[in-house]
Amino acid sequence: MKSGGLALFSLGLDPLFLARAAFAVRPSAGPSDRRMLVCLFQRGAVDGLNMIVPHGDPIYYQERPRIAVPEKDVLDLDGYFGLHPRLAALKPLWEAKTLAAIHAIGSPDATRSHFDAQDYMESGTPGVKATPDGWLNRYCQHDREHQDTPFRAVAFGPQLPRILAGTAPSLAIDDLQAFGLRAPQPAARDRLTRAFEELYAGSATGLLSTSSREAFDAVQMLKRLDPGEYRPANGAEYPRGRLGKALLEIAQLIKADIGLQVAFADVTGWDTHVNQGATEGQLAGRLSELGDALAAFTRDVGERMRDVVVLTMSEFGRTIRENGSSGTDHGHATAMLVLGGPVNGGRVLGKWPGLDPAQRFEARDVAVTTDFRDLFAELLARHLGARDLSAVFPGFVADSQRFPGAIRG
Amino acid sequence: MKNRIVWRGLVAVGVCLPFVGAEHAAPLPFARQGPALTPHDSALHALNRLAYGPRPGDVPRVAAEGVMHWIDRQLSPDGIDDDRLAERERRFDILKYDRGDLAALYTEAQRERRERKLAAGQTADGSDSVVAQHAAPLPKQADPMIPKSNRLASQFADLAVVRATLSERQLYEVMVDFWTNHFNVYAAKGADRFLTPDYIEHTIRPRAMGKFEDLLIATAKSPAMLFYLDNWESVAPGSVPPTGLHVRARPIFGRRPGLFGPVRDPARQDSVRRRALERVPKGINENYARELLELHTLGVDGGYTQQDVIDVARIFTGWSIERPQQGGDFEFHDWAHDRGEKLVLGVWFEGGHDMDEGIRLLKLLANHPATMHHLSRKLCQRFVNDEPPDGCVDDAVAAWKRSSGDMHEVLRAIFHGPDFWAAANVRTKVKTPLEFVVSATRAVAAEPDTSHRLAQVVARLGEPLFLHVAPDGYPEREAAWVNSGALLDRMNAAVALASGKLPGVTVVLDSIVSAGDADQLIGMINEKILSGTMSENTKQVLRRELAGISDLTQARALAVGLAIGGPEFQRQ
Repeated sequence: MKSGGLALFSLGLDPLFLARAAFAVRPSAGPSDRRMLVCLFQRGAVDGLNMIVPHGDPIYYQERPRIAVPEKDVLDLDGYFGLHPRLAALKPLWEAKTLAAIHAIGSPDATRSHFDAQDYMESGTPGVKATPDGWLNRYCQHDREHQDTPFRAVAFGPQLPRILAGTAPSLAIDDLQAFGLRAPQPAARDRLTRAFEELYAGSATGLLSTSSREAFDAVQMLKRLDPGEYRPANGAEYPRGRLGKALLEIAQLIKADIGLQVAFADVTGWDTHVNQGATEGQLAGRLSELGDALAAFTRDVGERMRDVVVLTMSEFGRTIRENGSSGTDHGHATAMLVLGGPVNGGRVLGKWPGLDPAQRFEARDVAVTTDFRDLFAELLARHLGARDLSAVFPGFVADSQRFPGAIRG
Repeated sequence: MKNRIVWRGLVAVGVCLPFVGAEHAAPLPFARQGPALTPHDSALHALNRLAYGPRPGDVPRVAAEGVMHWIDRQLSPDGIDDDRLAERERRFDILKYDRGDLAALYTEAQRERRERKLAAGQTADGSDSVVAQHAAPLPKQADPMIPKSNRLASQFADLAVVRATLSERQLYEVMVDFWTNHFNVYAAKGADRFLTPDYIEHTIRPRAMGKFEDLLIATAKSPAMLFYLDNWESVAPGSVPPTGLHVRARPIFGRRPGLFGPVRDPARQDSVRRRALERVPKGINENYARELLELHTLGVDGGYTQQDVIDVARIFTGWSIERPQQGGDFEFHDWAHDRGEKLVLGVWFEGGHDMDEGIRLLKLLANHPATMHHLSRKLCQRFVNDEPPDGCVDDAVAAWKRSSGDMHEVLRAIFHGPDFWAAANVRTKVKTPLEFVVSATRAVAAEPDTSHRLAQVVARLGEPLFLHVAPDGYPEREAAWVNSGALLDRMNAAVALASGKLPGVTVVLDSIVSAGDADQLIGMINEKILSGTMSENTKQVLRRELAGISDLTQARALAVGLAIGGPEFQRQ
């Protein structure tokens, strides 16, 4: 902890806001409405092996002569695994035990198609394409303890992702500042809003009807927020780009106390078939943005991180061996990150299968030892307090014995 | 025998009857369920699906011509005069440049940008952070998805919107959009910044209504696709370029200043050479092979295995690009080709046949039953219903078999099938952002100019053209497009368009909606812009909103904005 504290100082962070004591404060009576889950989807399949590097395994270096992260650059975590150096911003969170990684996690389905694998990870039903809704939406459908507000489930981006598709209300917000109707004067804006609201209430059907109703409910609530005036706290500086913007807006909604429980955002650019780089390069750039954005978010949200868990997920991992163009092709298991006050941090969770050819999936990829649903179910049950997991993950028996242990008991 | 119409009647299921001429009297094909559509409704339906929606007056025109006759003409776009668009296209500078020119322009722009940056010194941190962006007022209609370096792509995006809006060959433009997404490339990936325009112009457009096999082969050989899906540097393991140390020092576009500019520092030169050496391809890359099977041809359930993917990648080793950074053409590198034998879908490919192996494989894939089914399904999804009816897919597959994948015939089968006209499939599809913006522009007979405002609106609504990063292209299903934020954005775009506040588009509502009281105004908007689909509720809301607005221009803009942003106009 001591070195962790020093590291925080050297990064200019206030160690108090990260202190475990602050995170450790929990609501006295069971899971409350204040618990929040933020999911980031690394679309394109992140190379888990260069994100959480098994630098203690010589096979890693043998198989990746051009793209392995050199031992000297890896930020060691536990003597065997280490962080990619461009995730340095997350190291203080690891030291503060609010960040954990889960390795060798993935889908029981063998597909190496981005689209099928993303679909399965979002529907929560690997191998079943006919599932109409996403698991985060099903959680909202079945867990009625949380008060429904228009902002209960929000996706940041121009499209509502599969994971939030379904009958429970969920918003898609591409730009919080621009959310709503635009008119020169407030009176004109209110009038326009009312007119459109009535048009849709009276004649829209299907998805047009439900989505528009959610939109107008949210617009009403947003009136008391002034998104343009938001300033991140604690000197947090978000990196430029979509991810930084999305996390900034999520932080804003968290602090606005308008009932946010589930937030989602996409992070693209992980499909590194060519020249993915090692310490520097393409993947390093993406990781740097991810790490910096998460660190800024944690700093901005401050004390409230005690109620927040951030999860990163990706549809599958990449080949252990680098391909012919200094990149990696589609593989199987990958690594995910969880961070926040309730996280059982400072450890790499999951059962590591090893990189030995005999232990690989189909003789080439990291084998999956943790079904992604085990982690997702744990977050829902132990963080958000979900009761009925069989409705959220149909065909899957959630068993706390198999939970990877991401949330402190 | 011009205008020969073949359709399948209710009575004679599966039997093709020739129907000659007399299109005015042609009975509408036969819904499997429900009453037949009126001539007005069928004209509107055809204009919604085969075209980007009606312009004022289109519905009665097509109904008078006979909808089947109009469809037949749309199926043969070469016979449709399109002078007005041709005249407009001449204003787009981008069409004057070929791949090489664009590559040179791009390189030059990069160099200038770098020099400006150097001259300006480091950018101040504050101005770079999201906070600063966030605090600043929103730039009008600026789209965060399109950074400056993509200006070429955005001019090209505007051309796509202008073509969709103005072309008389509407079905052809719809098919260009269909194939652009089916064979998606990402125009912000490296050399695709300058390869994409050529790809659309010379690979997609000339083959959009032809045989699938020809289009498939053309995309496989296109520099844009070879670059996008990395096949250009997929080589047989252990292969060596003939000129010994002929190292292709590939620039990472926009990232490595040293590679374009003069390099004098010897240490730097060394490191450039070392980096270049590290980048020499050393083996196969599966990216294209997998997407070829999964997306372009068989479909994800098409019955291939991981081993098939590997052997397809081996077959395409050596399919490469001559100097991509200079906008070079397709080039086959025999030195990079895997000479071993391959097995794909149970078919042996004897080694040593160089490029012929790939051509043979593409022909095999183009005519594979799984491909016919996959593509027919996608076409039925585009034209008929998000959940394509089996009958439609079967009709399309049958036509595909008969015609060896000739799009004229496959489309004809879809448009002549009962599912296309079934009441259950009319006005059920929600417009994509491109369809919404283009149909709105057409509905008010607006004139887009050459600035890329309209393409920016499309981007803002979630569909920045040529900038879909994943190889699956933009989705067709409504669930992908209908959400709270997107709907509000559509309403805003509609209001802005109707009040003439979209720079880059000239709207003259006088020609469509002339003076009158509120009821007359509503009547005209219903007839000319919503083609008679306005609901009673919408009429009521409009009537109430218009009460008390004495200024006609204001009233008209409000009513048109509400109509286009309202629920009726979102469907097609």
